[in-house]
Order: sequence, then structure tokens, then C-alpha cells
Amino acid sequence: MWKPELASPGVTSAVLRYGLAVVSVALATALALLTDVYEIHSPDTPLFLVAVAVTVWYAGPGPAALAVVLSSASYDYFFTEPRYAFNFGPSDRLNVLVFVLFAFVIGWFSSRRRRIDRELRQARDDLATEVVERARQASLLNLTHDSIFVRDMGDVITYWNRGSHELYGWTPTQAIGERAHELLQTVFPVPLDEVHEELLRTGRWEGELRKTRADGTPVVVSSRWALVRDEQERPVAILTTNNDITDRKRREREIQGLNQELAKHSTELEAINQELEAFAYSVSHDLRAPLRHMAGYAELLHKSASSLLDEQGRRYVTMIRESAKRMGNLIDDLLAFSRVGRAEMKKAMVSLDQALKDALNEIRPETDGRNIAWTIGALPEVYGDRSLLRLVMVNLISNAVKFTQTRPRGEIEIGCTEAQDEIVVFIRDNGVGFEMKYANKLFGVFQRLHRAEEFEGTGIGLATVQRVIHRHGGRAWAEGAVDRGATFYFSLPKSSAVKS
Amino acid sequence: MNELGRILIVEDDPNDVELTLTALAEYNLANEVVVTRDGEEALDYLYCRGQFKPRASDNPAVLLLDLKLPKVDGLEVLRQIKSDEKLRMIPVVVLTSSREERDMVASYRLGVNAYVVKPVDFHQFVNAIKELGVFWAVINEPPPGSIRKR
Repeated sequence: MWKPELASPGVTSAVLRYGLAVVSVALATALALLTDVYEIHSPDTPLFLVAVAVTVWYAGPGPAALAVVLSSASYDYFFTEPRYAFNFGPSDRLNVLVFVLFAFVIGWFSSRRRRIDRELRQARDDLATEVVERARQASLLNLTHDSIFVRDMGDVITYWNRGSHELYGWTPTQAIGERAHELLQTVFPVPLDEVHEELLRTGRWEGELRKTRADGTPVVVSSRWALVRDEQERPVAILTTNNDITDRKRREREIQGLNQELAKHSTELEAINQELEAFAYSVSHDLRAPLRHMAGYAELLHKSASSLLDEQGRRYVTMIRESAKRMGNLIDDLLAFSRVGRAEMKKAMVSLDQALKDALNEIRPETDGRNIAWTIGALPEVYGDRSLLRLVMVNLISNAVKFTQTRPRGEIEIGCTEAQDEIVVFIRDNGVGFEMKYANKLFGVFQRLHRAEEFEGTGIGLATVQRVIHRHGGRAWAEGAVDRGATFYFSLPKSSAVKS
Repeated sequence: MNELGRILIVEDDPNDVELTLTALAEYNLANEVVVTRDGEEALDYLYCRGQFKPRASDNPAVLLLDLKLPKVDGLEVLRQIKSDEKLRMIPVVVLTSSREERDMVASYRLGVNAYVVKPVDFHQFVNAIKELGVFWAVINEPPPGSIRKR
């Protein structure tokens, strides 16, 4: 059912619209009269039809009605018998009917046209909005550093964001319209058919691709594809997001290289360690044997030929025996030290209090008969190797006992302080002390700050202490002054210490 | 000392042999001592093979075994003895310079009867040998089939 279009006819002002009706009918009348004057075959009716049509088309239904009335009147007045008089007869009624019908037909067309017009405008506006929205999205996509581009199913690039420009070097204008794989010289890890098969099946694909930039440099990207489908579920485009992983790949390769190197070093270390073990074993077995023989024969010589030797000779024999014994001690200590470094640590919660008690028991032979004032504070529990930590205690306390032996009354204080992330155990004595400038030498293997005849020892104890403490992730150090005692400290990380 | 078991010493080092024999002699334990100089010879003795073919097939009362030996090493000798039905009863004392834990563990795993580290100090060495000799050759009652000097 056709409804007259009232809104927005071609001409807006009412005066103009009705004027148009009057003018067009007047023009039609004038033209019809002219043709009559020149006696051309009369096209009178069509002229009025044109007038009505023009009015309907441009001015709407109101003026159209006027035009129909005027046309009918004019036609009746000028062109039907009797001429120049209004005589509304049956032929006029037919004319009016023709005009009205024609007006309706044209009106219907006009309304159709307007509606189409409006729909077109609507579509255009929608499109404009869409364009604005898309542009906004596109500008958002431009904000990302990732390369994003869209290809149609023929691999022709239809969208190219700034990230793509930055990554590959082509501007959107250069890239759009190009075939992506040709432009980027994409190298696929698997046949392209497989990629497409997966893409069509699952709607996505991801993988690492090697591509080439505009300047010819290679680039490795982590690529994600998403298939865009239309309403009929037909694939229409592929949205591609690429991340530059060239650096990551390079770092991965570097890390791989480093790991290999590390593995090599570790193997080498293992070999060296084995060699060292073999060496230690050899020292243990082969070096001790001749030493034992020296000691043995010197002893036998001492026994059997003592009477034949003079004082000097006997002294030489004694020296040989003592040196052999000392060498034996050195070898034993060295082996013990090497074992401390090599032995596997059996870590558990260890009470340092208990370790201290055990140590004091162990060195009882050294403390018996001595006048020593002990001040012993509470020590915490730590996470570590029981026997190694006991060894540390034995070495440090035995040192304190040894270097206070010249004092009439030895004073040894053992305690513990807690710092932020470590616990520090100290062993303080009032012994002979040492010069601070040699403090760093104290912990070296076979380093001694005293002459052998002053204090016995092989110089391995503190080296052992340091090695054990280092293996527990702590530090060992000492403070002291000549004749004013010494304090030895060792720290253990608090992660390995628990509240006392 | 009315009875004295035969002591079999397996030791490649002549000095150690001499010192050991001296130590044993000091306590009159040296009469019944057989010295073999490598693992193969020791096994030959125990199995009465080669040069030891003519000997009576009795087992020694104790075997003092060094670990580091030419040809067949001490641990291998120990393994063979302890896996032989006839020999496994012989008390074996490892007498070695090695204080290495793995040697000790390996020896005990194989069923050694004692493990003695030779002391460097001669007095201690002599003491160790003497005590070993006295214990295994005199005090200890050896398994049946051992050679005893009456």
C-alpha cells in the first residue's frame, strides 16, 4: 500500500511548492495554447500530465492535488468544447481521473525514490560511522608495537598497521595490495598447505616464521593467524599478528651455546675432580708407604745401631724419625682437607650447641690439665652437614686452646650474633693473637703465622674451616692483635639457620 | 704359645714385607709366615696352583692383604676368596696404606674380617702388626682346616 511521502519532498517551502504547481500548469497551458496556435497536432493532455508529474515529483501531494485541479480546470477551459468556458462534462471527468491516476503513479514512484534515497543516505551514514570506527580501531591497532596485518584469502594485504611498518619497513601504502608471502619472503617451518589446512580447520594457526625486511635483513617472528569469516561462514580474510623474536631466538641460541659450554666445563671439571681423587688416593697410598719405610728403618737403626753411633748420629736418626712423622701428619691433614672439599654434604637440621659439646669432648685431651675459663652462649640450629660443622667447631676451639697455652689462665668465649640475613658465630680467646696484616693468610692451606717449635700444627685447620663454611654459603674471618687474643668468626646464611 | 696359625702375607713392597716380618719376629710370630708378592701368587697359594702345587692343602689361619697389588689387586683377591666355598672361612685382614673411605667400604662389602691402616709411625706400625699377629695367629680360634703349628 502506497502512502504518500510527506516528509522531505524536493522543494521545502510551501509557497514554492504550490507556486511550482501553478507555474507548471500555467506553462503546460501556455505550451498547449502555442501548439494550438501553430496547429500542431495537439499534445495537450501529455503536457498537463508532465505538469502534474513535475509537481508531484518535486512538490509533494498537496501541490499535486492543486496541479490536478488547475490542469483539469485549464483543460476544461481551453481545450474542450465549448472552449473558453467551464463546462464540466463526462470527458472532463475522464481527464480528471487520468490526471489523478497519473499523479498517484508519479507519487508512488516519487515516494519509492525517496525511500530508496533515504535508505541510501542511511547506508551512507552507517558506512561513514563504520569508517570512523574502523579508522579509530585502526589507529588503536597502530598504537601497538606488534605487527598486525590482514590478508584476503588470495594472500593480498588489505590492512597494514604501524607495527608492521616498523617491523618490516614497508609503509601501509607500499604493502597494501601486495602478496604477503612474496613481499616478506616468508619461510614456513611446515608446508604451506598444512598451515592452511589447520587454519581452515581450527580458525587459527601459530608458529615461528622467518621473513625478510624491506632492507633485506632477516627477521624471525612468532606469528599468529586468525581466520575471518563472513556471515555465511565463508573464510574471507586472515588476521596476522607477528612478534619480532629475532632477539629472543638469538638469546636462546646464545643460552644454548652457553649451556653447551657449561656442560663441557662441567664434564671437564668432573674429569679434573676424578683426576684429583686419583691423585689424592695415590698420595694416600703411595706417598705414605716410603714414609713408613723411612720411619721404620730409622727406628730399626736407632734400635740396633744406637750404641755404635755417637751423639750426633743418634740425633740425626731422631731427626729422620721426627721428620717422617711430621710428613705423615701433613699428608693425613692434606687428605682430610681434600676429603672435606670432596665429600658429599648430608644436610639436616644441626644444633650448633650439640656440635659444640661434641667438639669440646673431642678436644678434651688438649684441655685436660689446663686452666681455661669458658664462656659459652646459646647457639642456634642451622641447616647443614653435622660432621663438617662439628669439624669447624673442633678446629676453631682447638686453635683457641692451643694459642692460649702460654697464658696462665686461658679465656675462651663462644657465642653468636644475628645479623639481618645471617648468623655469626664467634670464638674469642685471650691467646697470643696475630698481626691483622696477616689476617688474610690465616685461612690458606699450610699457612702458619707461628714457628713450628712455638705451636705445633700443620696449618690446615683454618683452611678446612673456611672450606666447610664456604660450602655452606657463609664466610669465615678473624680479628686479632699480637698478644691480645684473637676472635674467629664464621657466618651462615639465615636461610640455613632457624631460631635458636 | 702352644699353637701358632700360619700367616699368609700378600704384599708387593719388599720394605713393607721386611718391616712386617721384623715386627712379627720381635714377638716370635714369624715362624709360620708365607709371603706372596702379588694377587695372582696369593691365589695360586690358596688354590695350590703353580709353584704351590706340592703344598698341603690346608688354609692359612689368617691372610694379611694389601690392596694395591700388581696383576690381581687386593679387592679382587678378597672377592675371590669370599666367593669360594672352601676359602671363604679364612679370616682376611686388609692391611693397607689407604685411608680412603671407598676402599674401606668396598672391603667390608666383600666381607673382610678387619681393616687396618698401616701407621706411618714405626712404633704404632709394630704394635699394629704384633696385635694382629697375636690375635689372629694365637688368640683367635681359626676355622677347621687351617694350618697350625704345634
